[in-house]
Amino acid sequence: MTENTRTAGVPGNGGGEEPRIGVFICHCGGNISDVVDVHRVAEEIGRLPSVVFSTTHTFVCSDPGQALIEQKIKELNLNRVIVAACSPTLHELTFRRTLARAGLNQYLFEHTNVREQVSWVVADHELATQKATRLIRAAVARVRHLVPLEKRRIPIHPSALVIGGGVAGLTAARDLADRGFAVTVIESAPFLGGRMAQLDRLYPTGQRARELLQPLVDEVVRHPRITIHTNAELLQATGFIGDFRTTVRLHPRGVDTSLKNAGAVIAVCPEEAPDPFNYGLTKRKAIYLPYEGCYPPHPAIDWKACTKCGKCVEAAGGAGIDLGGQPTDVEIQSGVILMAVGLDLYEPRRGEYGYREHPEVVTLAQLNRLLDADGPTGGKLVLNGRPIRNVGFIHCVGSLQHKGIHPPMPDGRINDYCSRICCTTTLRAATELKERFPQLNIYDFHEDIRTYGRGHEAYYDRASQQGIVFIRFDPQRPPRVERDPRGEAPLVVKTVDRLTLGEEVEVPIDLLVLATGLVARDMARLVDLYRCSVGSDRFLLEVHPKLRPVELAAFGLFLAGSVQGPMDTVESTAAAAAAASKAAALIAQAHVELDPFIAKVVEEKCSGCRICLYVCPYDAISRDDAKKVAVVNQALCTGCGTCVATCPCNAIIQFGFDDAQVKSEVLALLGRQPALAVAA
Amino acid sequence: MTQVGTQTQQPGPGRTTWEPRIIGFLCYWCSYTGADSAGTARMQYPPNVDIVKVMCSGRIDPELITTAFANGADGVMVLGCHIGDCHYISGNHKTMVRMPLMRRLLAELGLEPERFRHEWVSAAEGEKFSKLVAEMTEQVRALGPLNWPRLLYERGVGHGMDLKAWGE
Repeated sequence: MTENTRTAGVPGNGGGEEPRIGVFICHCGGNISDVVDVHRVAEEIGRLPSVVFSTTHTFVCSDPGQALIEQKIKELNLNRVIVAACSPTLHELTFRRTLARAGLNQYLFEHTNVREQVSWVVADHELATQKATRLIRAAVARVRHLVPLEKRRIPIHPSALVIGGGVAGLTAARDLADRGFAVTVIESAPFLGGRMAQLDRLYPTGQRARELLQPLVDEVVRHPRITIHTNAELLQATGFIGDFRTTVRLHPRGVDTSLKNAGAVIAVCPEEAPDPFNYGLTKRKAIYLPYEGCYPPHPAIDWKACTKCGKCVEAAGGAGIDLGGQPTDVEIQSGVILMAVGLDLYEPRRGEYGYREHPEVVTLAQLNRLLDADGPTGGKLVLNGRPIRNVGFIHCVGSLQHKGIHPPMPDGRINDYCSRICCTTTLRAATELKERFPQLNIYDFHEDIRTYGRGHEAYYDRASQQGIVFIRFDPQRPPRVERDPRGEAPLVVKTVDRLTLGEEVEVPIDLLVLATGLVARDMARLVDLYRCSVGSDRFLLEVHPKLRPVELAAFGLFLAGSVQGPMDTVESTAAAAAAASKAAALIAQAHVELDPFIAKVVEEKCSGCRICLYVCPYDAISRDDAKKVAVVNQALCTGCGTCVATCPCNAIIQFGFDDAQVKSEVLALLGRQPALAVAA
Repeated sequence: MTQVGTQTQQPGPGRTTWEPRIIGFLCYWCSYTGADSAGTARMQYPPNVDIVKVMCSGRIDPELITTAFANGADGVMVLGCHIGDCHYISGNHKTMVRMPLMRRLLAELGLEPERFRHEWVSAAEGEKFSKLVAEMTEQVRALGPLNWPRLLYERGVGHGMDLKAWGE
């Protein structure tokens, strides 16, 4: 508490001194004053008891405006300040800082919204003026109940846990470690690299994905401040911002660095399973390396496929392979946590555009593996040994879904969002196909094409110049994929082309590529352990898309990359770098300061009934069994106030939103004893 | 005796007719921001709904709603984030369960159901917000002023209650 607020006194808080309220009404350069008669409002408010100063200003947020507030606080010994201006989302913080500069506790402030919610929505000057007066009167009633508050100070352990070892996780880990913090990366797979390792060439530069990934992986694995755990499973998490404790189960890899003849060992393995690295196009052995140059460079064992026959152990000469390894659990302490678990690809339903019914139908991800020079066919376009003449692409498979046309996902929702990457990825692949195999006829079936990013449109232009045929279908009548009855090609795609004003087209197709969208991974464990907010699209939800774009609502948790929504590698690395820099700004301080609007249990009123324990979304409330009362953990509480509304004894208060404050506001809005509703 | 519903009216020049007074309890992250986006888009809507901001709709104690009705509100709106979009994971799940109970309780206390409205408004749904306010204002206007303490008294609910305590 600052010296000034001590002397200012607080009603209802043992203070004794009367509130001295200053009200500053903003013209917003006419945005407010053109509609609201601000002078009349200032005059009416000025007549209310306890209001010792009431004025208007052209721009209260300007330097002179703020200087006026500071000056009046000092000159008139104001102990409450109200600014009636724009939305508090814009300038509440600005004015809190003004109060702090003037030596007044920054939480003795109320921001009244008379622009977004009055002057911009009420054209009638008289009604707008009345509404503004009402709202400010309510603020006057409310501020009488404000008490000086202090930010919570919580010590921060200068370290970070990064969950996910794909391009986003690695980027964030590298950035944080470069800033001098200890970083632990946990990856559920046996190898680093994530989705990016599976890609071939990336737009917009056309560089090879693994060549871009390699230096990043090298940097991370050589970094003295980074610890990496692969084969790691999230088990438990406790703690809060500054001191998270995450327990991770490390599953045995089965192979260690002393294995010398990996190639020969893999060759003797008799077991095979579909290779997820190639999206099931090929099979791999139960002991395997996903691709050349992977990290860690020694193989891993796929325990689901392994029968523990021991042939590999024999081939290895007994060294480097252990088929009897047991998992070990480790606890990782960290000040912050970065979520970088990435996303999944939409898996089309059986029969969706002929998928898994006709072998000629593949996904875009599978095509990318086929185009890869290091891929299963060495980059050759081969399908069942048949030469390919006509290639079709269908966009928006699993994206931009429409109610009533697309069957819902297993959880009942439809993917109505755009997956962002598939249009440009499709066009990049199509142009590469045409360049490498000029004899191909390529047909692009789309509902819409969104080449939104820098350099993306160039792929569309090139595709058009190459003679790729664009066919726009009606989303209400998506294309049908059938066996070609004439046998000209294996498949025929039938649709109505909107670009030729409804012409019915039938296109023979040898290879049909479905541009599948991106979906959120199953993150139930993660969401549950760390109390993450999830959006209606099932991706993790940031606090605010513009104001706090890489933070989760629970403190100390950050979103790095496509865990937040569909992103390409460009966006994913940018988001990861942003998350790393926000996280670094936080852990660089020894302490973090959090807003004080949290819940507090009034022990004398608490009956110990535990209801609040069950409603708290963050498990921030526990019960002190000795005292038989509930206790709020200050670092875990996010200040939603749900427990306050739930407590049957009214034993929980929420700073900034306690019953007296909210009720006085309601009463004043209704004209009940305006400004005189003082707590008993 | 003054009618509670009209008490707050400061009739301007030529305005003497009754106007509904409605309190809107809005969660900060979705609905309050949704109301802001209606403002940013300059959508015009009636000035009858006065917004009281809370951080989460889960904070909206039924007692706040009865306080509003008992003190002259003709209607109350409760707006929160859509299910699945709660800033606080599941605060609005509590709202989802509480508000239908609240509606039944208010009905038992003699209130027309149209005076109470609970909806989900996202930060992007400025248009939905402005439409809801317009609808709510008109449906409450159609019902006329609520004088709840008198209503209770006339129906014999809380018989013997001292109406002075309610400002009568």
